[in-house]
Order: sequence, then structure tokens, then C-alpha cells
Amino acid sequence: MTEHLLKKYDDDLQRLTGEILRMGDLAATQMAAAIEVLEQRDSAAARLVIAEDRAIDSLEHDVGHDVVRLLALRQPMARDLREILASLRIASDIERIGDYAANAAKRSIALNESPAIAPVPGLAALARVAGEMLREVLIAYRDRDAERALAVRARDAELDAMYTSLFRELLTYMAEDPRSISSSIHVLFIAKNLERVGDHATNIAENIWFIVHGEQPGEEREKRDFTTRPNALAVTQTEKPSRGPAGSASMPPMAQMMPV
Amino acid sequence: MSDLRLAVNAAAPATGEALTNKLVARKLGFRYGDTQALRDVSIDIPERRVTALIGPSGCGKSTLLRVFNRIYAIYPKQVADGEVLLDGENILGPKYPLSRLRSKIGMVFQKPVPFPMSIYENVAYAIRHHEKLTRTQMDERVEEALQQAALWTEVKDKLKRSALGLSGGQQQRLCIARAIALHPEVLLLDEPTSALDPIATGKIEQLVADLKARYTIVIVTHNMQQAARCSDFTAFMYLGELIEHGITEKMFTNPGKQQTEDYITGRFG
Repeated sequence: MTEHLLKKYDDDLQRLTGEILRMGDLAATQMAAAIEVLEQRDSAAARLVIAEDRAIDSLEHDVGHDVVRLLALRQPMARDLREILASLRIASDIERIGDYAANAAKRSIALNESPAIAPVPGLAALARVAGEMLREVLIAYRDRDAERALAVRARDAELDAMYTSLFRELLTYMAEDPRSISSSIHVLFIAKNLERVGDHATNIAENIWFIVHGEQPGEEREKRDFTTRPNALAVTQTEKPSRGPAGSASMPPMAQMMPV
Repeated sequence: MSDLRLAVNAAAPATGEALTNKLVARKLGFRYGDTQALRDVSIDIPERRVTALIGPSGCGKSTLLRVFNRIYAIYPKQVADGEVLLDGENILGPKYPLSRLRSKIGMVFQKPVPFPMSIYENVAYAIRHHEKLTRTQMDERVEEALQQAALWTEVKDKLKRSALGLSGGQQQRLCIARAIALHPEVLLLDEPTSALDPIATGKIEQLVADLKARYTIVIVTHNMQQAARCSDFTAFMYLGELIEHGITEKMFTNPGKQQTEDYITGRFG
């Protein structure tokens, strides 16, 4: 695209793009780090991940400030207007992703209080796909590549299916061994949040499409998160608990079950 | 062109009222001397809507406005070809009387040019030229025009004073009152606020919004925010050609042509 007559306007827009890309890069790093500290059961490292979220929040604040400034001082039109509006929305999506990473790190500290549970490795696979979607959508944003963005959106169904599968696995696990409920619920929340990362990456993809084409992408995307269907719980009812007494003595204390 | 008609009707209010085209240019060309100022311009101007003409200096937007009321006819060597239809009648044809055209199409210019006479006489002067009215009828017509131009409350106690004593914004509204006193059907505004401060500009823009209930308005403006604020349709012109014409909202959020995009985003080199 040709440059603005007013050079400073181009600088302002580039700065905004730079802030978004830095935010995105930080969020992707945070997500990977959160899963790593979870797998390593390293509470000290988890605290570092939690603290680092502030950097993303601060960048989001900068984006908001720059958007207001651009709207007030440049009176953007057409594609410039869409760029600026989309950057505000994208920043908010990335900020949420950062929150999810910090939340996973917090839950990992709680998980370290109890013995490791088997479904945790399933999280890594979920995190890998969510992370790939995020990296990919950031490249699509950097290149303003609407087609590439749309491909990311199409991948969300894959993530949904993985989440549904992990959800069922966790239900079975909890039904089998009620002592694992507290840990399983933390893992479930982390899994749900990773699934939400895919939704945010999808939002970002749709905003890239909006920047380039001035409209929302046409067809509805496929959804494969079946966990809210009425029969989602049916899985556990067929697979009865096979070991361990389900008595109240083996239930974990309530405090440990509270969401973080 | 049919695309625009569909779009035009889509933009009509939910009352189900279909828009009709008040003014239609077909393959309009215009030249003075060796200069081709307009080339093959075809545009529909819907009735009781505001159409803004935008484009860089020399793009032909003011020329188009001037052809709409045949101002050029007073200059030799200025030639228009093609058609401009007002309610289906070609106003460029030699049979269309100029005085009839002037009573149907009013025009307001960039700089307010009140006549050096009283506020009252400024409005009454043009009416007298076209109609014979009694004193009472004339008073009513002058008041009506000043009311519609949103100037009445400010001048009603000093109608006998010279119009030259009014502020720039008041003078411009007086010129609008003078134009609408003849009960025209179309109002052509050629950069009506470029000499005014933001408050006077705001008043004129509100006036345009009020007047479109009665008149078909075409406004030429260099101020893109103004076009965005007060028009229903926007036409972008460049080097004497009509590049794009559509619903204002679409033109300023997602124009169809790259040239339009470059111009409205301030990228025109």
C-alpha cells in the first residue's frame, strides 16, 4: 500500500502493528512457558510466568492509548479505520490469551500440591495446537494475509475435537478415582482455557479478514466442542468406577477444589 | 449503474419509500477552450437525499455542480455534451428556459455573497424577480425562508439592517435562505463552509440535515469528514471522471476502488 502524505501517520500505524506483534509474541512465549512449568512441576518458574503477564497487560494499555490518539488526531477512513479498530480487538484477544497462560501457571502451583495425574500429557498436545494457531495467526497479521488467517480459523475444529476428547478422558479419570478430582478439575480448566485460546486466535483471524476485505468472513466455521451437549456426561455413566472406594474419606478438602 | 440503484434503494429508510432520481447525468462531458473538464460522467442524484462530491482540486466536482445549473452558459467557448435530466427533462437542451432552471435549482457558493442591502431585501430580491406578491405574502415568504435557513431567531429584530453586518456564518445562512426563498427543488452547495469557523460549519451541516426533508442537495466539499458527516451518497471524482459513487458509509469504510481508498485515507501522491 502506498504511503500517507503525512509520514507521521504511517509511523503511528506501524508502531501499532509493532505493539500488537510484540504482545502476540509475548503471549505465545507465555503459553509455552506455562505448559513447560506445568510439566516440570516447577512452582518457582510458574511464579515468574504469572508475574510476566503484566508486560502483556501494559502493552494492551499502550495499544488502547495509541488507538484513541489515532482516532482523535488522524480521523482515519476506510482501511486505516479498519486497521485501527481491528488492532484494538486483536489486542484484547491477545490479552485474554496472556491471562490464560498466567492462569495455567497458577493452577500448576496448585497441582504441585498433589501427586501428578495421568491426563496431564494430553494438555501438551492441546497447547501445541493452540500455540501453533497463535503463531500462525500472528504471521497472518504481520503479512495482512487474509487467506492464511482463514486457514487458522479452520484449524479451530481440530482443537475443539482434542478438547472434547481430553474432557471425556478427565471425566472417566475422576469417576474412577475421586481423589484425583481436585487435580483433574485444574487440568480441565487449563484445557478449557487452551480451547479458548483457539477461539481467540479465530477472532484474530476474522479481524485480519476484516482489515483486508472490509467484511466478516462468509461461511460459519465448524465447531467440534461437544462438551456442552446433553449427553456429554453419558460417557462416565457407562464406565463405572472400577477401583478405589468412593467414600467421603477419600474426598479431597474443599479448599483444594476451589478454582484458582 | 444498476448496482448503485439497488444500493440506493437499500439505503432508503425502512418506511419502504423507494428513492427516485431527481437529477441524472448521462455521458456528460464538458470543456472550455482546449480543457476537457468532465469526461463521460454518468451519475444519479436521488431525490431528498444529500449527495457529496469529493476529489482533489481540478477533479471536476465544482464544474459538475456548475453544469447542473448551467452557470457556464454565460461564458462563450464553454460546451457541455451528453445529458443532464431534471425529472426526466434534459436541462442542457436549448429549449429548457434558463429562468425555469434557476427557479428549480438553487446554488450557494464558497464565499457568502450577500447583496449590499438589508437582510430582508436580500431574500425578497430574488422572489420579486420571479413572482409578484403582496406585502404580506412577501413578509411570509421572507420569514419562511429565514426560518428554514435557521437564521430567523437571530435576525428577526434587525431585518432592515444591512446584511453586510452579519457574521460569515450568518451571511452564508442568508445566502441559503435566498436560494430556498424561490422554493427550488435542488440545492447545489459549492464548499459552503470552507470560509467558516467550526461552529458556523456545524450549524450549516445541521441545516443541510434539516433541509434534505424538502430538497435534493448536492454538496461539493474538500473536507472528507464533512462529506462523511452530512451526506447519504458520495461521489469521488478524479481528473474529470467519476471514479466511484455509492452509499457514504460504504465509501468511507470500504470503498470499491483503490483510487478512492488512496484519496480518502490521505495517500494521494
